[in-house]
Amino acid sequence: MNRPPLLMHMKIQNENTNFGLWLPLFLLIPLALVVLIILSPLILIAILVLWPSGWGKLALLAVWVAFVSFCSLRGLKVDVRGRKESVFISVV
Amino acid sequence: MTENKKKILEMLAENKISIDDAYRLLNVIDSEEGGQESTPKAEPAVKAEPKYLRVSVMPDPDAANGSGDRVNVRVPMSLIRAGIKLTSLIPPEAMDKVNGALRDKGINFDVRSVKAEDIEELIEALGELEVDVVSAKGEKVKVFVE
Repeated sequence: MNRPPLLMHMKIQNENTNFGLWLPLFLLIPLALVVLIILSPLILIAILVLWPSGWGKLALLAVWVAFVSFCSLRGLKVDVRGRKESVFISVV
Repeated sequence: MTENKKKILEMLAENKISIDDAYRLLNVIDSEEGGQESTPKAEPAVKAEPKYLRVSVMPDPDAANGSGDRVNVRVPMSLIRAGIKLTSLIPPEAMDKVNGALRDKGINFDVRSVKAEDIEELIEALGELEVDVVSAKGEKVKVFVE
């Protein structure tokens, strides 16, 4: 598994807007962790209740796959430039 | 002796093919192996693992109005792998619906038959992918792996 991405750079330009943002993802990870810890009892209960129906396992797997997908974002680059507008997204 | 030659001889022993067919097939294999031996350094022995899937769309540089969007997308292979893993989260009922929809479109394919090993093979095969399209408008579309 890859290391989680550190920064996300977004840039949106058109005739009216010139918007750029460096998003520090490394600061969001501890925040997400705190939220996960706070919600963990509820998540655990939900998983236990849903386990017999098979949805509990799916929910647990979904959390893991979401984290792996987030870690895999490192290196993603989208650069679309039109005549009057452009969108740039890069995950470092 | 290569595996292919062994297979041909086995098929001949089992009377699945005639002597003439076996001779012809062996000749084909010999000529292919000869071709490979004559250019051993044409390809590197170990191919680097592909890291990114690149899609680029470039407008026609000679276009009069200079219009057309430039697109440059780089997707990490690990993200593609993670995306494919998401298929394991699809509930069985939804899988049936997906299979049904595919069948309606004339594609006889069972989504449940996709296994992790097949995905790895598919991603390895992507390493040799290169799509190069030039449209009538002069736009160039390139899809490749790097």
